[in-house]
Amino acid sequence: MQESRVYLVKSATKQLVEASLLDEVMDRHLAMWNGSWSAAMQAHCAGRVLRDKPEDHHWDWKWKAGEWRPLLGYHSFAITCEGELQGLMLVSDLKSARIQAQFGKPIVYVEFVATAPWNRPEIQTPRYRGVGTVMVTAAVELSWELGYRGRIGLHSLPQAEEFYRDKCGMIELGKDAAHQSLMYYEMTDKQAEAFRLGH
Amino acid sequence: MKLKRSKAWYARRIALEGDVEIGAGAPPCYPPPATMEVRVKPVDTRIAFGAFVELWRRNRGWDAVKLAEEAGVKPEEILEIEHNPQSKPQPNAVNRLAAVFNLPARILMELAGLIESRTPKLRQAAVRFAARSESVVALNPREREAFETFVSALSKTAGK
Repeated sequence: MQESRVYLVKSATKQLVEASLLDEVMDRHLAMWNGSWSAAMQAHCAGRVLRDKPEDHHWDWKWKAGEWRPLLGYHSFAITCEGELQGLMLVSDLKSARIQAQFGKPIVYVEFVATAPWNRPEIQTPRYRGVGTVMVTAAVELSWELGYRGRIGLHSLPQAEEFYRDKCGMIELGKDAAHQSLMYYEMTDKQAEAFRLGH
Repeated sequence: MKLKRSKAWYARRIALEGDVEIGAGAPPCYPPPATMEVRVKPVDTRIAFGAFVELWRRNRGWDAVKLAEEAGVKPEEILEIEHNPQSKPQPNAVNRLAAVFNLPARILMELAGLIESRTPKLRQAAVRFAARSESVVALNPREREAFETFVSALSKTAGK
């Protein structure tokens, strides 16, 4: 288990603040999720019809943790900043690429990633920005370390497609009928290299 | 795994991220699995609606004609509601019955399958009610006489 110093932008001051990325979701992170994160999500969802709730409002990270922890090939990440949980991610290294240029080669696949409710523009003015950037960076870096040359893939929730397509420069491969018709994205090794360089 | 990026790198990349959503991945239950509630079809709730109409009038000692008069609808509409769940009742008739029953028309419209269900638990309860309202009591002499007369008529008709 390793901790990395990363940065987020605090909206109130528009300044970079130090945050911590841990390459393993611990019980204390799940306790934070079960506390303030979950409460904020429930408060936001109260009285709203299904279509007005965040797409991941029903995700149960405690249940997810119980599922992935005994398995090999899964890696989890948690970002904390100023004493609070800001983002969670689960990836696997078992899937292979679909895009023609790298078809069949192993990728790091982002199983789930989410930012805390208070960082979501659809809920409120985000307290911190940059959780997505840090998480994609972590996925690319893990892919690099595993020898996958930065290749990653994921199914984006509909509201996040802009981030993966336009901000991260990932390739859109269409809606995946086998995955609740979510849009599938992949990052090639060349795109990963550009991402790592900050382009 | 350790990330080694400079502060300037994060500043550059986070500025690019801006204010967008970042969620990815669908859990196995996304969207939520079909529940018992959505398996209930309009025809199921219409059985309950018909049973309710019948029990309501019998509880008052009314026959179908009396209820039809009170509601201002045709007796055949009452019979249709009570005995034919495949048939879609007229909204006007359901509204008039709601007034007689002193119940919200919206609830009865929902039971009758005329508007989209917004209260799945009501639908479940309706089906349970319909199932439980089925009589298990033996026929009384009047019912037996009517039944035997009808069976006899059926036999004669079949014999022709």
